Amino acid sequence: MDNTVGPSEMIIHLGPQHPMMPGPFRLNVKLRGETVVDSEVEMGWIHKGIEKILENKTYLQGITIVDRICYLAALTNEEAYVGCVEKLAGIEVPERAQYIRVIMEELFRIQSHLLGMGEYASFVGFVSMFMYTIKEREDVMTLIDSVTGARITHSFLRFGGVRDDLPEGFKDDVKRVFTNLRKAIDSYEELFSTDSIYKARTVGIGVLTPEVAKDIGVSGPPLRATGVPFDIRKDEPYLVYEDLDFKVCTQTAGDVFARVQVRLDEMRESMYIIEQCLDQIPQGPLFPEDTPYGRRTPVMRVPEGEVFHRVEDPRGEMGFYMVSDGSDKPYRVKIRGPVYPTLQALPPLLKGVPLADIVAIAGSMDTCTSEVDR
Amino acid sequence: MDAKAMIDSLSDQFKGGIYDTNVESNIRITAKVKPENIKDVCRYLKDKLSFGHLCCEFGVDYPDRNEIEVIYVIGSYEHPVVLTLKAILPRNNPEIESVVPVYWNANWYERETYELFGVKYLNHPDLRPLVLPQEMLGEWPLRKDYKGFPNKTAKNLV
Repeated sequence: MDNTVGPSEMIIHLGPQHPMMPGPFRLNVKLRGETVVDSEVEMGWIHKGIEKILENKTYLQGITIVDRICYLAALTNEEAYVGCVEKLAGIEVPERAQYIRVIMEELFRIQSHLLGMGEYASFVGFVSMFMYTIKEREDVMTLIDSVTGARITHSFLRFGGVRDDLPEGFKDDVKRVFTNLRKAIDSYEELFSTDSIYKARTVGIGVLTPEVAKDIGVSGPPLRATGVPFDIRKDEPYLVYEDLDFKVCTQTAGDVFARVQVRLDEMRESMYIIEQCLDQIPQGPLFPEDTPYGRRTPVMRVPEGEVFHRVEDPRGEMGFYMVSDGSDKPYRVKIRGPVYPTLQALPPLLKGVPLADIVAIAGSMDTCTSEVDR
Repeated sequence: MDAKAMIDSLSDQFKGGIYDTNVESNIRITAKVKPENIKDVCRYLKDKLSFGHLCCEFGVDYPDRNEIEVIYVIGSYEHPVVLTLKAILPRNNPEIESVVPVYWNANWYERETYELFGVKYLNHPDLRPLVLPQEMLGEWPLRKDYKGFPNKTAKNLV
């Protein structure tokens, strides 16, 4: 961005700490009157160097580190990391463990969307919405807590399996929570579609066309809101997603309203997936038998090779590229987060919009700075 | 068009520019590319083979071979094949043409590879550090021989 300002122009720094920001990044906006002329994103306030840390940790220790990439998607991050090692070492995951992973990851998608949506509604001035969604999210978090024993950082997945089995009575708990959640989601949808003030702030704002969205490499709900049915769970199925019946939720408008609608639909789809899993889940072991990789192997060596494994995060395509040199630590790990291209796309999206819409557009992308900085 | 046909079409188009091709499975193909061809190869991939989605771009350091690999992972919205392209650069002076004119979102990936590995991208629109402070430039922290100390950002506090 050019830092010189003309007559009736000014530069405003939004962030790194700002109520609208879903994490510490800085948005420098050049305004003419109330219209954005140009903008620029500055990153790096919480750069953790996770890629370098992983090179110095054994494979098992790495599971704990990748949790910290983004706490709203901790289990999908683990899935991408563990999936890489499983592909390199050729480990088969038993079916019961695969089903448990799907259940947990879909629960994660629900809680992430609930928080993201609530936060977003409070950005556009609908603060009570945040109270509604955080209440429902608490029930989902309790479900997750009852399986993994943690709320944010879980270290739940293992190479070839999962750490623990589902607790007794989990199915009944899920049924009870989902009955309430379905009602809640219906009421959110009604609120969103009937509230004229909310609609005035969201319909037709921040429109992405499919061509532009593809060009800037956006994935996840912002891309699906433009009508492109791009979902790793369908395009490149991992775990047992092939055997499950679900549809990819899309909208065609590509605006802020459509992105929120996609998240609402996805939560319903996730609940449907979890219910199928709970009906179909077979009995069996949680780890493959007769392999050296199990619950109790702190040191393991992974064969030489390179692999790229990607999964569907709540925010889009999460991929890990792993290079192994045959030792007990990865040689290089590259983390490809879904928010990275999305955040990069903010300056072109914000060009020409009024100041008040910056919050609506940036918030609707459900950005997670922690993951961009890594 | 399946994975095998795609890689054949690519190596036919760039004889000598593309080498060491490999079909790992029906959704994963790998190839190595001469650094001077990278922009043309990416243009061809995007226009003719519908590889329109740059998943990521990053570096890997190999001090024993005195090389830095720049890896492009390119996917597509139309088909499930993912291509891994590798360009091998000398470690003492890594330079490669920027692919930002082809893949818009390569911009940040290249800025990050520049500050972490010291790979210099020619004709990049805005090559400056992304996640690291200006003082760290020239340290190349993700190279294997980076020691971490003295810590330049903490100055005299540590």
